[in-house]
Amino acid sequence: MTLPEAIAGVLPIGGVAGEIVAAVIGAAIIGTIMLTNTAVAGPWAKRKITAAFTDRIAVNRVGPFGLLIIVADAVRLLSKELIVPEGVDRPAWDLAPMVLASSALLGFAVIPMGSIFGVNMQLADPETGLAFVFAIASVASLGLVMAGYASNNKYSFLGGLRAVAQNLAYEIPLVLTGLSVVIFAGTLQTSEIVAAQSETLVSLGGLAIPSWFAFVNPFAFVLFVLANLAEVGRNPFDIPEAPTEIVAGYQTEYSSVYFVLIYLGEFVHIFLGGAIIATIFLGGPAGPVLPGFIWFLIKIWAVFLFTQWARSAVPRVRIDQLIEIGWKGMLVLAFANLVLTAVIVGVIA
Amino acid sequence: MVNAWIAIGALALVAVIIPLSMMLISSLLRPSVPEQGKRATYESGEVPTGSSRHIQFNIQYYMVALLFVVFDIETVFIFPWAVIYGDAVGEVGLVRALVPMLVFIGILVVGLAWAWRNGAVEWVRSPRAESQRVDRDI
Repeated sequence: MTLPEAIAGVLPIGGVAGEIVAAVIGAAIIGTIMLTNTAVAGPWAKRKITAAFTDRIAVNRVGPFGLLIIVADAVRLLSKELIVPEGVDRPAWDLAPMVLASSALLGFAVIPMGSIFGVNMQLADPETGLAFVFAIASVASLGLVMAGYASNNKYSFLGGLRAVAQNLAYEIPLVLTGLSVVIFAGTLQTSEIVAAQSETLVSLGGLAIPSWFAFVNPFAFVLFVLANLAEVGRNPFDIPEAPTEIVAGYQTEYSSVYFVLIYLGEFVHIFLGGAIIATIFLGGPAGPVLPGFIWFLIKIWAVFLFTQWARSAVPRVRIDQLIEIGWKGMLVLAFANLVLTAVIVGVIA
Repeated sequence: MVNAWIAIGALALVAVIIPLSMMLISSLLRPSVPEQGKRATYESGEVPTGSSRHIQFNIQYYMVALLFVVFDIETVFIFPWAVIYGDAVGEVGLVRALVPMLVFIGILVVGLAWAWRNGAVEWVRSPRAESQRVDRDI
């Protein structure tokens, strides 16, 4: 039973109207959860993590542990003047931040977030779930191109081009590696993929290791995590922004609420990447003792921490190295992984 | 039973309303102080010259995009195969389930090898960048 169905069971309205109302309430809950995560991650956790990696003290004045910086930053950024640069391509320039923020949020529609208080937090569970989430996650590239082209800024334009080249190079390894999991699970339905990982792989001294695909196929897991770093544009693959080369890439000309939306879109996208990794490699919301939803949050935050770690620790690659790693390295490895997985599954089955 | 696509549509609605409401709040809060020169695009302090949409850029971006189209369509074909593969092996045997896809992937790999050999995935440097290149011995 999905979240809207649970809500529809409580609502006094029946029929299609009840379905729609329940779906909107469920969607609002999922949207709020992801916004809250992003609000904690962007202004607070990111600064704290970066400070810890570079041996500094970050936000600690406003509220306990500096947590109220979230409120302060929200008010500060939203009340900034919106400067519209000369010669911007108007509808595209305004739409780009919306495309980035909306597409990343929409991806969470099919993610199984586990249950808490007996309610399954998954919004929808279509049979094509995994294909849907891959499709939605790559819409962000469109937003980057729009932002880069429409800004009428040479840095933005270069940033937009780099964003396309990067996302194109890493999209195929990402999807192919995801497909190697589909071969194991035999379905694209996200809840079924999670269910396929619930059996015990091996028992080590009474400790049961679940058959998470990260354990079944660690090679695919490493490939996917790397391709995901490129997909969300974090070091070593942050050349679309590259602050020391092209100012801030596609977001150079954005201020005020548009900057907030682009930033929000980026962070939701990192969490979406984490959610995909959790779903297809880390057993979704599975875990001992704690409720599934808490485990889901732990897993997406672990991936977030990993991206921030990479951001602090790994130097940026050049564009030629990026193309080389993507098309000559990861693509070939992704194909090898797919074919080997198919052969192994075929021989066992 | 709530239709999955109604729920997804509802989240699409929410995902559009959230940015719009943030824009609305911001438009109520923010000042507007138009000033001379404020609207110039940022170029690290230089006065911008010319439009950004007429600059020349590396042809390589185009080559990579072409290559992507081929492989992206290919992944679309691999999707349904990956879903039914496990069952298909049980029904028609390993060879009939696997070999056609191996041939399909093989053709594309040959294509990639060809593109690789002919330098489509090699980053082309402009003659100017090449002349300014400094080789360091480390």
